[in-house]
Amino acid sequence: MTLSATRPSIRVTDLRKTYQVPEREGGLRAAAGSILRRTSRSVPAVAGISFEVEPGEIVGFLGPNGAGKTTTLKMLSGLLYPTSGEATALGHVPWRREPDFLRRMTLIMGQRNQLAWDIPVVDSFELNRAIYGVPRDEYAERLKELVELLELGDLVRKPVRNLSLGERMKCEVAGSLLHRPEVLFLDEPTIGLDVTMQRRIRAFIAEYNARTGATTLLTSHYMADVEALCRRVIVIHHGVLLYDGDLAGLVERFSPRKTISIDLEAGQKPPDAGWLAELAGGPDAVVQHSAERLTLRVLRSETAAVTTRLLATLSVRDLVVEEPPIDEVIDLVFAAGPGSDVESERAGATR
Amino acid sequence: MTLRLGRLPAVYAAKFRAEIALQVAYRGALVIWLLGLLIEPIVYLVVWTTVARGQGGQVGGFAAGDFAAYFTILMIVNQLTFTWHFHFFEWRVRNGFFSPMLLRPVHPIHNDVAENLTFKMLTFTVVGPVALFLLATFGATLHPEPWHLIAFVPTLVLAMVLRFLLEWTLALAAFWITRTVALNQAYYVAVLFLSGQVAPLSLFPPAVQAVASVLPFRWMVAFPVETVLGRLAPGEVLAGFGAQLGWIIVSLVLMRVIWRAGIRRYSAVGA
Amino acid sequence: MRSLGLIWLSLRLGVLNALQYRADFFIQLFQSLVGLGTALAAVALVFGQTDELGGWSRDELIALVGVFLLVGGLINVVIRPSMERLMEGVRLGTLDFTLTKPADAQLLVSVRQVEVWRLIDVALGTVVIVIGIARLGERVGPERAVAFGLVLVAGVAIIYSFLLILSTLAFWLVRLENILVIFGSMYEAGRWPVGLYPPWLRVALTLVVPVAFAITVPVETLVGRLEPMTLVTTVGLALAFLVGSRWFWKFGLRHYTGASA
Repeated sequence: MTLSATRPSIRVTDLRKTYQVPEREGGLRAAAGSILRRTSRSVPAVAGISFEVEPGEIVGFLGPNGAGKTTTLKMLSGLLYPTSGEATALGHVPWRREPDFLRRMTLIMGQRNQLAWDIPVVDSFELNRAIYGVPRDEYAERLKELVELLELGDLVRKPVRNLSLGERMKCEVAGSLLHRPEVLFLDEPTIGLDVTMQRRIRAFIAEYNARTGATTLLTSHYMADVEALCRRVIVIHHGVLLYDGDLAGLVERFSPRKTISIDLEAGQKPPDAGWLAELAGGPDAVVQHSAERLTLRVLRSETAAVTTRLLATLSVRDLVVEEPPIDEVIDLVFAAGPGSDVESERAGATR
Repeated sequence: MTLRLGRLPAVYAAKFRAEIALQVAYRGALVIWLLGLLIEPIVYLVVWTTVARGQGGQVGGFAAGDFAAYFTILMIVNQLTFTWHFHFFEWRVRNGFFSPMLLRPVHPIHNDVAENLTFKMLTFTVVGPVALFLLATFGATLHPEPWHLIAFVPTLVLAMVLRFLLEWTLALAAFWITRTVALNQAYYVAVLFLSGQVAPLSLFPPAVQAVASVLPFRWMVAFPVETVLGRLAPGEVLAGFGAQLGWIIVSLVLMRVIWRAGIRRYSAVGA
Repeated sequence: MRSLGLIWLSLRLGVLNALQYRADFFIQLFQSLVGLGTALAAVALVFGQTDELGGWSRDELIALVGVFLLVGGLINVVIRPSMERLMEGVRLGTLDFTLTKPADAQLLVSVRQVEVWRLIDVALGTVVIVIGIARLGERVGPERAVAFGLVLVAGVAIIYSFLLILSTLAFWLVRLENILVIFGSMYEAGRWPVGLYPPWLRVALTLVVPVAFAITVPVETLVGRLEPMTLVTTVGLALAFLVGSRWFWKFGLRHYTGASA
C-alpha cells in the first residue's frame, strides 16, 4: 500500500490538554475539610502545539519529565481526548479510535507489558494476529522477519515471566509490529534497559523504518536515543513547542558558542589575561587559563578568526574546536524555557 | 525490638495523626469495607425476625424484637472487634512492604493496632447512626439494666484485645504458607458460626454450644452482646471474663512464640 | 463472526494461563466445599427452628443455595476476574494497550482473565439444584427449563452490566481499588429469598444491585413460583442494563486520562 507522498502523515494544529488536579495541604484540618470541599487546579500539560510529520520520518520528542511529550503522544495515538485543537494521523482523527486507524498504527511503551505473563510469547502473538486480522501466511512471514531482525531465536517459545527485561522488551516490540503498522508511537522505548540492549533496540527501529517506511514518533529523555535515530527533533517543555528542526540546528540555535581548547607548547608563556579576554569576546568567555591549557567559549561566527589569531600568536601543541555536549545544550534549553535563545546564550556565557 | 515503653504514647499519637489523614483520603474505600461489615448482620436480622414472626412470635427464647436487638448490637460489636490483617499479611510480605516495618525501632504490631483503631473510630461514625436506625425500624426490644451496661464495657474491650491478638497471630502463618486463602476461609467460617453471627449461640444444638464456649470465638463477639442484652446471669458474666482473660493470655503466649519463629524464618528466607 | 473468534481466543489464552497453577484446583475445591457446607449449615440452622421461611420451604431453600453457587460460579469464572484486571489496567496504565487495538475495547476487557477452577462452583451448584428439585418432587418440563435458562442468562447479564459500571467508575475514582467488594457484599444478601427483606432494603437490592434478579428469580422459575410479569421484567431489565452499561463504558473512555501523563 503506498502512501501519498504529498500529504503529511501526521498533522497537529494548536493541540491542548489541560488536567484538573485536586490539591490539598497536609495536616489534619485540611484532611477533615477535604471531606466536604475539593479544590483543584488546572494543569496545562500541553499548551498549544502545532507541527506536521511527513510519511517515513523519524521524529524525536525531547523534553524533561512532565514536559507534555507523553501526553502529546497519547493524544496522537488516540488514548486521550484533547481539551482543544485538532490532529489527524493517516487521515483519521486519532481519538475517534476508528478500527481502520488502529489497524495501521501501533503503540509501544517502555516498561509496560501487554504480553500475557505466564504463557509462551508466541501464544500472545497469535491473539494479536487475530485482533489485527493478519492473514496466516503474512503473519508467518513477518514473524520470521522480526525474529531475525531482533535476534529472538527461541525466546518466543518461552513464557514472558522467564525472560529478562531486555528480552521482554524485544518480544514486546516484535508483538507490536506483526501487523505492519504504518505509524509507530514509541513512548520511552529504551527506559530501564542496559546500554547494549538500548543500542540494539535503536538499531532495530532504524532498520524497521528503512525497510518499511513507517512514520515513527518517539519520546525520550535519553539524548542517545534521539542522536542515534532522529534527524528531526521536537523539543517540548512546559507543554510548549520550543524547537522543531534537526539536531544540528538545535545545537546551533541554543548554544551559539563553540569551545576552543589549546594545549600550549612547553616553554610557551601563557598570554595576558586581558588580551585573551578581549580576543575571546569578554572575560566570561575564558573558561580556563593555566600554564599549559587555555579553554575559550567563543561565538560561532568568531571561531575561525579567533583560532587563526591564537595559532599565529602562540606556540600551540594541540588545538581542538568542539561543539558543546548535546546534553549540556538540552539542559540549557530546558532551563531557559519558551522563546529564550538570548537568555540561554546569557546562561551559557555565565557558566 | 528495643523501645522504651515511655516513647510508645508519642509514637501512637503520631501514628494516629498519620492514619487519620490517610484513611480520610481513602474514605471511599472505607465506606466500601464498611458496607461489607454491615450487610451480614442485617441479612441475618431479617432472616431470624421472619422466622420468629412465622413461628408465632418467638423462637428459642427470642422474639422478633429480641432478634433485632441482638443483631444490631452484634453489628456494633463486630465492627469494633473486627480485624483484617489475617487477609493482608501475606500480601504485605509478598510485596516487600514488610521489611521496612521490621527496620523501624517499633514492633510492627503497633502500626497495625493504630491502623485498626483508626479505622474503627472513623467507621463507627457511620455504624452508630445505622445501628440506631435499625433499632428503630425493626422494633428492637432493648431494656438493659444498669449493671448490664457497666459490665458491657470491659467485655467489649477484652473482646477487642482478644480478637486482635488472635487474628494477628494467625496472620503470621503467612511466614510459612504462601497461599493462606484456604486457611483464611476456614477461620472465617469458624468465626461466622461460633461467634454468634449466623444465629445466637443459644439456638445451636447443645453439643455445638459446649464447643463454642471452649473455643475463643464466642468470647470475641457473642459474649459482649449476650451481656448487654441481659441474657447472662452475673455468675456467667464473671465466668466469661475469666474465659476472655484466659484466651488473651494464650494468644499473647502464642504470639510471642510464633513471632519469634516467624521472624527467624523470614530472615532466613529473605525479603 | 470476528468477535466470537476473538472471545474464543482470549478465553483459550486465559484458560491456558490458569491451568498453569494446578494447585489452585485443590484450593478451589476446598473453598467451594466449605462454601457449600456453610450455606447448607445456615439453612439447617434456620430450619431447625421452623418449617418455612417467608413462604419458602427447606427444599426450596436448598435449590436457592444451588442457584446461588451456580450464578456465583458463572460470575467468578470470567466476569469478575476480568473486571478486576480492568481496574488494575487502569491503575497501571496497561489499559492503554487495549485501547489502541482495532477491536471493541469492552469485548477485550470483558474476557481478559479466566479463573477456570471456579467451574467447580458451577458443577456443585448444579448438583445441589438437582437435589433440591428432586426432593421437592417438582417436575421441570421443557417449558420451565427454557424459562430457567432465559432468566439465568438475563440475571448473569444484569450482574455483568452492574460490574462493568462499577469498574468503569475506576476511571474517575482510581483510589477505589476495592469497589468490587461492594458487589461481593451485596451478593451475600442473595443467599436468602429477596422477598424476606423489607421493601426499602428490597428496593436497594433489587434496583441498585440486581442480585434478586440473578438468584431469586431463577429459583422461582424452577420451583414454579414464577409470574410471567417477572420474566418479562427480568429480560427487559437485562437489556436495559446491557445498553446502559455500554453507554457508561464509552462515556468513561472519553474521560480516561491514563495512569500518568
